[in-house]
Amino acid sequence: MKILVTAKRVPDPEQKVKFKGNTLDQSGVNWQLNQFDEYAVESALRLTENASSGNARNGEVIVVSLGPKDVQQQLRSTLAMGADRAILVDASDENLDSEIVARTVQKLVEQERPDLVLLGKLAADSEANDVGQRLAGYLGWPQATFACSIEVTDGGKALLVGREVDAGVETKKVTLPAVVTVDLRIVAPQAVKNGVTAATHAYADGPRYASLKGIMAAKKKTIADSSLAALGVAATVRAKVASVDAPPARKAGVKVASVEELVQKLHNEAKVI
Amino acid sequence: MRFSFTAEQQLFQRSVRDLLAVECTSKQVRAMSTDPIGRSPERWQKLADLGVAALTVPEIFGGLGLGPLDWVLVCEEAGYAALPEPLLETVAVATPLLVALGSTDLQELWLPKVARGEALLTVGFDHALHPQSKDTQDQPGLVADAHFADLLLLTHKRELHAVAPADAKCTLQPSADGTRRLFHVDWTPTDATRIAGGEKAVTEIAKAVNRGALATAAALVGLARRMIEMAVEYAKVRQQFGQPIGAFQAVKHHLADAHLAVEFARPVVYHAAYALQRGDSSLHNTHAALHIAHAKARASDAALLAAKKTLQCHGAIGYSYEYDLHLWMKRAWALSAAYGDPASHRTQIAQTIL
Repeated sequence: MKILVTAKRVPDPEQKVKFKGNTLDQSGVNWQLNQFDEYAVESALRLTENASSGNARNGEVIVVSLGPKDVQQQLRSTLAMGADRAILVDASDENLDSEIVARTVQKLVEQERPDLVLLGKLAADSEANDVGQRLAGYLGWPQATFACSIEVTDGGKALLVGREVDAGVETKKVTLPAVVTVDLRIVAPQAVKNGVTAATHAYADGPRYASLKGIMAAKKKTIADSSLAALGVAATVRAKVASVDAPPARKAGVKVASVEELVQKLHNEAKVI
Repeated sequence: MRFSFTAEQQLFQRSVRDLLAVECTSKQVRAMSTDPIGRSPERWQKLADLGVAALTVPEIFGGLGLGPLDWVLVCEEAGYAALPEPLLETVAVATPLLVALGSTDLQELWLPKVARGEALLTVGFDHALHPQSKDTQDQPGLVADAHFADLLLLTHKRELHAVAPADAKCTLQPSADGTRRLFHVDWTPTDATRIAGGEKAVTEIAKAVNRGALATAAALVGLARRMIEMAVEYAKVRQQFGQPIGAFQAVKHHLADAHLAVEFARPVVYHAAYALQRGDSSLHNTHAALHIAHAKARASDAALLAAKKTLQCHGAIGYSYEYDLHLWMKRAWALSAAYGDPASHRTQIAQTIL
């Protein structure tokens, strides 16, 4: 199976946010791979290896990112995890929106012709949650979003994708090629079954760490450069962030003397009961 | 010239850090301090799967054949996590010593197992062979993790011996740090245990001691970083007189002093690793040995200062068994004296430059 995975760099969510006027101050930001994209890379690796036989490769994983040259660092970490090669499309973060990203990935899909495109369900910085859906629409491919499990079925021609919904887990069957966006639990020990690895195999919980051998091997893997112009994607930003503000400071709470008073306030003032 | 670690070295440091953040939490370190063995074979196997155990094993034995610049950051992370397993002894000291002095048979028997994480090595040096020692007699030193290692590399009268744990009687010695087990090892040197002697053995043993000092210095930097982080977090949330204690100048100055000490020690440690990787470090006051003495003195000072200042910022809770700080503090006390205390390293520097 050939899988194309998208990877976005985002500011470290643990780092304190700094503001510069009504925008975010990104000087001194520690960039890291978007967590959901890391899960997508892990899922792609699980789908393309035989974990019952020393993780022998059984497919190809190509990681794609849009951003400045520094994003090579995040791409290199995905190669160290085990991805086979990467493509970096030169772009500046402020001149991108979901439309441009989806159109760019569409062009790359047309070039690479993968069986599957895996994406994180959203990026931790923008939380837009729409690139996967747009991409499936542009490609005319079936899509399954917020995947918590993936199982290869029909002799590798389709996927059974589990999706966590309010009422439980919904299972969708999508024929390949398809677009799948992944959620948190896709990296649970037995969330991905590729039909090659023994069904009883349990991975360690979470995405794999880059081993030293993987890091050394990644040095020899390629990161191909591309650009919006070379791919024929119009770099016209249609959605811009107008301003970013910190949430208002929380007001001090009110101490109540008794349960009765609490019930009264919830009923009469908050009007929630 | 580029004075920084490679992207690969930094990426591997992050992998080790991320793994230890999950596998070596303060709760797990605390559990090890009262555990009869005090070590986790499962955790060591996970580190080995990452490539840590194979770092200094030559490639022909299934390792990666890397040097100090590749393991110094790993040792720093081991200190940051207060890792109980003998990473420093196995990776930085014993494995290269076995590579330098071991027979082919011994290397073929042990090094592939070490690389796969199936065997752990530890070392014990006579005090007189220790370059920072004031002792003139060949007194046996204490051996870390003798109870857990699969092979003991022990010195005796300027010779190196390989001793199976079954052939030695290991007696646990009292230690401030409950997670670092030190043993008196009673054993009998024989022709069968002797693997090297003469001038070459003395030189290689001295190099091993220097590597131990460097690895320990790196771990001390990690320990100090962690203690300062703990104290900073505590100072942000502990309220006194209606505000966080971090708002008070006295607390700020303590933490800034500790931070400065660590930031002045860290580049010295890195430079010592660079000097060791690029040149020789024998007992005889060479370039790298001087930098290592500098690094160990600075890192020990920084960690001891961080322990003192962060304890003061915490107040009494810092000393309590229920709070985590003491796990790092006691390790810092123990490691500051391991492979030469700051005074002995300063003496070595003075002897070199005067």
